[in-house]
Amino acid sequence: MFHRMIIAALGATLFMAAPASAHDEEALRNAPPAAPYAKVSDLVALPDFLPGLGMLYVDPATLPAGPFLGYDRDGKLAATIYMTPIEALESGTSFDDLGVGSHNVSAVDIYYNAGHPGVDKPHAHVVLLHGEDARARLAE
Amino acid sequence: MITRRQFGRVAGGALAALASRRPVGAAAPRDIEMRGTARGERVWFAPLAIAVAPGAMLRFVNHDKGNSHTATTYHPAIFDRPRRIPSGAAPWDSDFLLPGASFEVTLSVPGVYDYYCIPHEHAGMVGRIVVGRPGDPGWEGPAGDAGDLPEAALKAFPRVAEILAKGRIMPEDLA
Repeated sequence: MFHRMIIAALGATLFMAAPASAHDEEALRNAPPAAPYAKVSDLVALPDFLPGLGMLYVDPATLPAGPFLGYDRDGKLAATIYMTPIEALESGTSFDDLGVGSHNVSAVDIYYNAGHPGVDKPHAHVVLLHGEDARARLAE
Repeated sequence: MITRRQFGRVAGGALAALASRRPVGAAAPRDIEMRGTARGERVWFAPLAIAVAPGAMLRFVNHDKGNSHTATTYHPAIFDRPRRIPSGAAPWDSDFLLPGASFEVTLSVPGVYDYYCIPHEHAGMVGRIVVGRPGDPGWEGPAGDAGDLPEAALKAFPRVAEILAKGRIMPEDLA
């Protein structure tokens, strides 16, 4: 119950923050999103589809935090992901007013990641899932 | 030193062809797997450390479906890192291996070879290969200087005596 309240509060916060930093939801609904977004696997050595995150696109100017847009295998937006280096957070860096791929946020996952090409220091993944079926669509 | 790189399933046929051209009686490569959890919380080489005879072939294979990895020796010629391989050995870098891809290297100079994964060194994804034994001609033991290595990497290297005693050390052996 508490978790649901947090998710609802976070969703509401994101929605309220939208006018300052929102994306054009319609333009991002299907892959590929227009420039300045670029396919992550074209920028660094990563598979086209990452289980759990999908096909990732990012505006390189927003690295490392993103937002990264995660699309399912049908090219439908399923998640917005942020990657925040632990070291940066510990040193007081904040990541504010980040864009959102969709205002429909059904759940949020936050977990540790040891690193990967593009964000090669330990960091947190903050994953906003867009739709009840988003997790399943990104699974494999 | 001989190196060779393969690109995932597409190169499977080529790999088989190359393998078939190995000299008769040549030993099969010893695999070192690159692995990680589904969400990337942990990443590792398995085995973490291995002891082999001079002339052994090692094959690094990426079994991590959600990440790419490298096997890169510590050497000034590669990203200006401190040398942690025998002075008579040539450094190597697999470059990024996508899931299913592999890289082979043959090691002939006796001594201790330390290597790391470029995007995961700070997470402690390093490995150690011991070629031959102390006393072999040209043997060079482990580097004594920490250099610029992150603490997570330094504390991950098993001791040479333990590697020689066990033959190989898996990450879970240290848990």
